[in-house]
Amino acid sequence: MTPDSITEVTEPIPASDTEDANTPSPITAAIDVLNRLTTAVKQQVLGRDDVIELTLIALVADGHVLLEDFPGSGKTTLAKALGEAIIDDGKDSDRDEFILPFRRIQFTPDLLPSDVTGVPVFDSNSNAFHFRHGPLFAHVVLADEINRTSPKVQSAMLEAMGEKQVTVDNVTYPLDDLFFVIATQNPLDLVGTYPLPTPQLDRFLFKITMDHIDRQSELDVLDSYKKRRDLQQERITVTRDEVLFAREQIDAAVTISASVKSALVDVSRNLREDERVLQGNSTRSMVLMLPALQVAAALRGRNYVSAEDIELLLPRVLGHRIELAPGVADMNKVLLDAMRGPMEQLARGTLA
Amino acid sequence: MKQASTKATTAPHFLPTSLRAAIIASSYWLLSLSLTVVSGSVASFIGCLFACYLIDIGIRHPPMKQLRSFTINLMSLSFLLLGLFLASLLTSTSLLSNLSSPMASFKTGEFIKFFAISASLTVCLRVLAQRTSYGAVIEILFVATAFVITLSAHRNGMIHRPFVIGDYALTRGIDPSSILMAFGCGAVLSLAALLMIENNHRRLPYHFTVLGLLCFSLLFYVRMFGLPTPQLTDDLGLTGQEQAGNSAQRENPFRDSENTAEDKEAPVAVVVFRDDYEPLNGSYYFRESAYSQFNGTMLDFTTRSDMDQDLIANFTNSRIEANQLPRAKDQRTPVRASIGMLISHRTPFGLESPVAYENTANPNNLRFKRTYDAYSLAPEYDFNYLLGRELGRADWSQEVWDEYLELPDDPRYTELAASLIADLKPEYANDPFAKAWAVKTYLDENGIYSLKNDHAYETDPAASFLFGDLTGYCMHFSFAATYMFRSLGIPARVGIGYSVPASNKAGGSSLLIQAVHGHAWPEIYFRDVGWVIVDPAPQQTLVDMTTDPQNSLQQLLGDMLRNDASFDDFMQSQQTSMINLLLILNTFYALVLAALLSAYTVKFYRIWIPSRAAADKQYRLSYRAMLDQLAAVGLHRKFGESREQFARRVQGVAPTMQQLTEQHLAAALGARKADRADPQKWLQLRNKIAEEISINTKTWKRVLAWLNPFSWLLSK
Repeated sequence: MTPDSITEVTEPIPASDTEDANTPSPITAAIDVLNRLTTAVKQQVLGRDDVIELTLIALVADGHVLLEDFPGSGKTTLAKALGEAIIDDGKDSDRDEFILPFRRIQFTPDLLPSDVTGVPVFDSNSNAFHFRHGPLFAHVVLADEINRTSPKVQSAMLEAMGEKQVTVDNVTYPLDDLFFVIATQNPLDLVGTYPLPTPQLDRFLFKITMDHIDRQSELDVLDSYKKRRDLQQERITVTRDEVLFAREQIDAAVTISASVKSALVDVSRNLREDERVLQGNSTRSMVLMLPALQVAAALRGRNYVSAEDIELLLPRVLGHRIELAPGVADMNKVLLDAMRGPMEQLARGTLA
Repeated sequence: MKQASTKATTAPHFLPTSLRAAIIASSYWLLSLSLTVVSGSVASFIGCLFACYLIDIGIRHPPMKQLRSFTINLMSLSFLLLGLFLASLLTSTSLLSNLSSPMASFKTGEFIKFFAISASLTVCLRVLAQRTSYGAVIEILFVATAFVITLSAHRNGMIHRPFVIGDYALTRGIDPSSILMAFGCGAVLSLAALLMIENNHRRLPYHFTVLGLLCFSLLFYVRMFGLPTPQLTDDLGLTGQEQAGNSAQRENPFRDSENTAEDKEAPVAVVVFRDDYEPLNGSYYFRESAYSQFNGTMLDFTTRSDMDQDLIANFTNSRIEANQLPRAKDQRTPVRASIGMLISHRTPFGLESPVAYENTANPNNLRFKRTYDAYSLAPEYDFNYLLGRELGRADWSQEVWDEYLELPDDPRYTELAASLIADLKPEYANDPFAKAWAVKTYLDENGIYSLKNDHAYETDPAASFLFGDLTGYCMHFSFAATYMFRSLGIPARVGIGYSVPASNKAGGSSLLIQAVHGHAWPEIYFRDVGWVIVDPAPQQTLVDMTTDPQNSLQQLLGDMLRNDASFDDFMQSQQTSMINLLLILNTFYALVLAALLSAYTVKFYRIWIPSRAAADKQYRLSYRAMLDQLAAVGLHRKFGESREQFARRVQGVAPTMQQLTEQHLAAALGARKADRADPQKWLQLRNKIAEEISINTKTWKRVLAWLNPFSWLLSK
């Protein structure tokens, strides 16, 4: 360390800045990408900083999110802002020209899988079938009211989410590397819906239940509506490649220590042993969670995963994955009880 | 639930009811202690509580409200009869005892009986107290009676009564009187509390406090200065105070009106026989002194140095022996007896005939006024041995002879004595012992023993007795006999001391002397034998002089006086727990001290070690040292709280803690080890946090933090 850094430590600034001040590392660029994305989305969506953060974490961590919210609460705005913030600068050569930044699918009961994936169309000129790409071929897909459509469409959707590919007429078409789904469902109006079963919910990294924004934010939304609409042209943007690059960099640079992993496993085991829990979370959920933890750490300027990240993400990751026993309502309490011991172990472990 | 609201307005408050119930129940418990086994006592306690609550809560509500007091009392009476019947059924039939055990059925019976008794009695008392104006008085009287009856046995200095308390205290080396005083205090306080409840004077707790303080100051006084000495009516003027301010008493041993049987059981001394000895005539005689010189009106202590040389007048610190030893040693057995005086005496006494006294160490200063060993040559001869003996000692001068033969100038003594020996058989006509026996026989057959008589104010009470109604007590008998012996030319005196029935010894080696055993008897000097007791025993008596021999007290005091290894062992065995307690306490103190020392060592080690530690351990040791400092001022991480949360929480005290935490976590959880290699940086952060802590916490808190040896236990 240089004498500069000694003087720097006297002022409370994030540790990562001091670390990276003299040795610029790729992670600085990754964090910069994240910050720009955040700023871009925050310009459009007011009062939803927590949801924006989680959504970005899921985007960079290669997961998908399920938003549970009321109509008109800004889901589409959020998804659209995100989709439009990621532009394609055309530098990447092996990129598919059919991939668009943002697509929205409104799910209805009469929707068919081909409406989502695309369909082969007979071209009389070439006298052959030609695949017309569906709305899934985009960077960010908003799947609105996903529980309103039939299981057939849901399963096509879920294949795309899980495998990053669609199969039509036995031909498999790969989706973009940056394929990110924001699905929504209305928590109240359940008539005529096909609720997603737990295994399907498992495909979503987060299920985020959104509350109404506070009064001041709501006022801000009304005040700045026009301004934000006009700002469309001078937006901060991030290229698709930058996002993919950040994904790689964060994965490489952010350490997950053994004690963090064992804390995760212990929480899962506690949950499975808990009498109030009918079915615990899967091992896959833990695996999916690791990149998310790394992104969360990077967002806070850290190059290691800490207890804070677990506390932030664990409820979002596990909330929709564990089934509570009949009569048990308070998911948060169950989670907190399961977390207390392992988190204590994690904290104590740093002194060992 | 509608009832609850009405109850709140009409029913008495719960606390006074409980207090009253507890007081009355404890008086039941006290009363039942001497009457039944533990189960009975418990039953009476429970029964009383039950009845108290039943009446206090139920009396203002139907159906009890509509019943007349008479009906309720009748019901409780029938409940009592039912309970008694059931109890007797239980114990008389063999059903239950066959089912379990006879003891269980007995205990069950006692339980039912005493439950019924206490419950029904309490119902009567409570109903009367609730419904009439005089009822409360009866209740208070009842409680007072319970205490008085229980403790009344303790009058007369009977320290071992009631046994429950006495045994408990004595075996633990506590003075039972303190406990009894405490009981008394408790009784007074309880009664005062009862009165206050009845009068509903809410202000009175103030007075109650003063009363309690007074009671306990009395208890304190007793602990500090001891109990007042029991005032005994010393039947013979022997057992009185050592300081002889009462010379009037000494001059006149005949104090008829003062002789009452009251306090006759009061213990005076305890004797532990070291040698086996059983008297032939059925009584142990302990000689203290003798009236031998006629002073013109009656016999008194001698003023001549050449008389009564066998007596030892005073206590001395070293061994003291009599100037004259009794003769006929082959007919006597040496007996050593340890004597513990419970009441001060002017003169030592010993088993007849005492020859030497030797002070011994007092095993219990609180209990014994004086302890000494008395060496005696106790007679083993029978009266046949005395027949044909000559009188008087060979080395007596004529003056001494004359003194032992002097008697009041009253011819009636000589006449009566002469008439008594006139009937002797010719072969015994000149035998001194036979003559003396004739006099004794006359008094035995014609004398009437009584403590109530009017001879005291006569010039010669003995004459008034002998030639009057022949009604008197030992002093009259012994004086009359002595005068008659002397009139017959037999040298005689009145021996005084104690005479205890041999049966009182009850097979043990200790003997309790009680006030009632004070005695006076005529003695005759036979040549080559010594002073021989010829004690008239009147066949008619107007007083019941039998007493409870108090075997348990005798045993207890004897053990205490004996103070030998076995007694010590016994006390040890009783006090094992106390001694162990001391040991445990000492061990505990040592452990606490060791714990404190090691805790301080650890505490200061943990603060000091970061400055000496290697660079790659700094992140851990420095952080721990800071956690210790924060824990000392009361800030420590809660269970399950993450380090970041804790750092945010203590932001107000130590803002730099957040930075330190970040660095610590980066080093602990991160992959890069760069941060571990700069001790200077850690030191800087430590100093900064310490400064922040000292600015943001109060001085007393920091002093406490510095002193607290266990603060580091909280940091984790």
